[in-house]
Parts: sequence; C-alpha cells; structure tokens
Amino acid sequence: MSPIKKYVAIGIVTLAAVAAIYAYKEFNRKTADLATVTAQETVTVANLIAAYEADEAKANKQYLGKTILVNGNIVEINNQQDTLMNVLLGNASDMHNVSCLLDKKQFEKIKKYSVGKPIAIKGVCTGFLADVELNRCVIVNDK
Amino acid sequence: MKRLCMGLLMVLVCNASFAQTKLFTKTGSITFFSKTNVENITAKNNKVLSIWEPASGKIEFSVLMKGFEFEKALMQEHFNENYVESDKYPKAIFKGTVENSNSISLTINKNNTVNVSGALTMHGITNQINIPATITINNALVSASASFEVLLADYKIKIPSLVADNINKKIKISINIPLYKSL
Repeated sequence: MSPIKKYVAIGIVTLAAVAAIYAYKEFNRKTADLATVTAQETVTVANLIAAYEADEAKANKQYLGKTILVNGNIVEINNQQDTLMNVLLGNASDMHNVSCLLDKKQFEKIKKYSVGKPIAIKGVCTGFLADVELNRCVIVNDK
Repeated sequence: MKRLCMGLLMVLVCNASFAQTKLFTKTGSITFFSKTNVENITAKNNKVLSIWEPASGKIEFSVLMKGFEFEKALMQEHFNENYVESDKYPKAIFKGTVENSNSISLTINKNNTVNVSGALTMHGITNQINIPATITINNALVSASASFEVLLADYKIKIPSLVADNINKKIKISINIPLYKSL
C-alpha cells in the first residue's frame, strides 16, 4: 500500500469511527435538564394565563414547545407518592392556572416552598388543557 | 317513624345529587407502547384531563401531545416533529359515552367492566372507537382504566421507511385514572 493510500484509509476509518460515536451518542441522548437551558421566553403567570384565555392558537405560536420562565404564586403543591410532583401557580380563585410538573431532581427543593409563596419556575410549555401546562420544570430562585 | 322517613329522604336526595355530579381529574396518565423485534418504545403522559358524568354516561379525555415523555430525546423529537406533528395538532381528544353508565353504583365496592364508545381525534383525524374499560369503586373512591390498540394508518401518521422496522404499525395505549374527584 502506497503512503497516500494508507493515509486515505486511516482518514476514512477515523471518519467512520467519529460518525459511529456521534450516531451512538445522538441515539442515546436524554432530554436536557432544563437547569442547563436558557429560557426562550419570560412571562408572569397572570400574563401567560391571559394569553391562553384570549387566543389559544396565538399563545401556542408564541409558547408551545418552548422553554419558558414563569413568575407567580403557589396555589397547590401536589405530591403523588414522591413519584410525581406538581406545582400549581396563580390564584386559587381563578378558573385556569399554570400547572408545572417538576423534574425529579427538584423534589427536594420544592419542600422549602409553601402555598401562597412566590416562585420562579422554568419549564417546557406543552399547551393548554384546564391549565397552561409546563413539563420538566426546575425551580429558578432557589432559596 | 317521622325521623326514619326524613332519614330515608335525605339518603335519596344525597344519592340523587351525587348521581348528577360530574367527576373529573387532571392527573390521569396515558402510556403508549410500540413493540418490535428491533426495539420497544414507550412514552408516558401524566397530565390527562378527563370528565365523566355518571348519570348521562358522557365521558371526555384530553391530552397534550407535547406532554409525552420518552426515554430518549431523539424519539421524543421525531414523535413531535415528524409523526404526530404536535405544533399543528397539539391535542388528542376523546369524546364518548360509557354504556349503561347510570347502572354503576358509586357507593358499592366493585370493578365494573364497561364498554366505552366515541370519537377519538388525533393528528387532525377523527375515528369512531369502541373500547372495554374498568371503572373501580372502592370506598366511594372512583378510579378507571382501559387499554386498546390504534393503527397509525387510521390517523394518517406516517413512519419513514428508514425506521419502519423500529415502530409497530399498531400502538398499544393504556389509560389510567387513579382518582376521579367531584367537580
């Protein structure tokens, strides 16, 4: 084998190996921890709810699938046997709230909070049912 | 005697008002499962909204497609962007009826096997479906579960030929409502 052919062969093998490692990593990639993700939108709980109440399709265009940072007061902390933890934000008397399903890594942090207290939460907006729904939520202003 | 009559009347009134109430949950779950020789794929959504009116039998389920969580990020991205197109069709909705719903006693402990029929809308397509379900009454607490299969083709969900072997054409869907509360 000539030296040139040898280098070409080494080059091809290296490229193939890099491609294979990339493909393997990409295939096994987990969804990102939102603590490491910068919010694309920042909005108060009241304004987010108002946007969805006014025009759901328009609000979806702005928020759906995006990582958003919301500020508001805690209405309810719902712990389902420590497997699921959901935090409801807004006013208890309102028809719609913002419902945040917490990332598992946040379960300890939320214990420092109580109903009625302000909180900042970052999550992925999945849309609007009875409430505006956020998933994979992380607490931002950790005390 | 008068007191007994009043007591009976109270029981009847209470039962009647209970029967008229709507039951709801925001924390139901839907899991779907695709099994092939290449890989098994499962995804779960824990924010299912459901309302059931026992007297009329009317029942509804709504779920946000972007709320399904997969083990791998790539699967979740393909699901949302290419298969169910969740930006365009953010919700899946079922509106139907529980057959013989008014014959279910909400006070007697029992696993009630029922038939639910109605319209399932997903990916912009609506199909009539008929599924067996179980409504469980345990110490006046109401829970429910059902599982059924859907054909991706029925909802015009296309899987690229490159990954056709990885995804079953028939997806198993399990619904679990841990607790219906009074509205």
